[in-house]
Amino acid sequence: MTSPAMEARRVSVGIGQIAVSKDVNEILVAYGLGSCIGVCFYDAQIRAAGLVHVLLPASMGKVPDSREPARFADTGIDALVKRFVELGAAPRRLTVKIAGGAAVLGAANAEKFKIGERNAEAIRERLKRHGLTPAAADIGGVRGRTLEVHVGSGKAFVRTAASPANEL
Amino acid sequence: MQATADPLVITLTAVARDGAIRAGRGLSGLMGQEIAIHVPSVRMGTKADACDAVGGEESVVLGAYLGISGDITGHVMLIFPVARALECVDLMCGQPTGTTTEPDELAQSAIGELGNIVGSAFVNALADRVNLILHPSPPTIINDMAIALVQSVYAEVLSQGGDVAMIDTVFEDQTGRTAGLLIIAPDPVCLDRLRAMAA
Repeated sequence: MTSPAMEARRVSVGIGQIAVSKDVNEILVAYGLGSCIGVCFYDAQIRAAGLVHVLLPASMGKVPDSREPARFADTGIDALVKRFVELGAAPRRLTVKIAGGAAVLGAANAEKFKIGERNAEAIRERLKRHGLTPAAADIGGVRGRTLEVHVGSGKAFVRTAASPANEL
Repeated sequence: MQATADPLVITLTAVARDGAIRAGRGLSGLMGQEIAIHVPSVRMGTKADACDAVGGEESVVLGAYLGISGDITGHVMLIFPVARALECVDLMCGQPTGTTTEPDELAQSAIGELGNIVGSAFVNALADRVNLILHPSPPTIINDMAIALVQSVYAEVLSQGGDVAMIDTVFEDQTGRTAGLLIIAPDPVCLDRLRAMAA
């Protein structure tokens, strides 16, 4: 399935960034997730979508750099939940989808590059603390992914360099 | 990006130029013709810098990755936009540009060898400079979105609190030139040594 919305505006959510939107014409996109993980939230009642692009698993107590508020899984998830609550969302209504966490430098190097796997564990753990479980996940493997969430519909799509967009 | 007057960048530039000479010598021997490698810039970079150099975030690149082991660990990645990589294959195989149209098995093998020669030359130049024993691993072929590859190396280095050094490379024979990006990301311990030597 290809992603719709020809007139929609794509908002790039870079590494360590958070975006939240209620503009139905916007599509939030995390391009080229390697070991990074994109986490998207959607609240159908208030029609709000959000996306964080997480680089590393744990902040280890460090205060995130203001230029990369979502560099870490723990602080990134906390910040996204906070933004949704401020918008009037109820955490129990949130639909959560996650994608990324690949070992793109090949199976031979997967043992060394375990950050993708550790990111996935850290994200699931942090979501659980907020009472959230991903409704869909496309995690691991050896291919980079682009994740996008459409604010108008709440639908999320994943594509790779080798495959077209598929709904998550 | 840090200012070019950074002593660490000056030191890394010397390493890069030495590496380029060694790599050019190796490639010229392999191909039976003079191949020069130029190093237009060395930077302590950001993610965006790296991806711009190979055509943008989602652009698909072909290249090779080598791990560094020995006294320290680190990463070497040589990437080209796919079309530029295929030009390199033609150059290596002594064929007219445009002969190779797909990243097939032969092309991947050639890119692996290119990565091996260039990556090893730079790693050896670095090892000599900091007086450490470093071993490059056999190359792994990489063919994916640029940002996914660059970000994965960044994550590994940043998880140890390090910086990533990027070295632009231009490969040239008598008929033309093609550009690639070489990313060398030594373990932060090594960069600290270089920084101390450069100060």
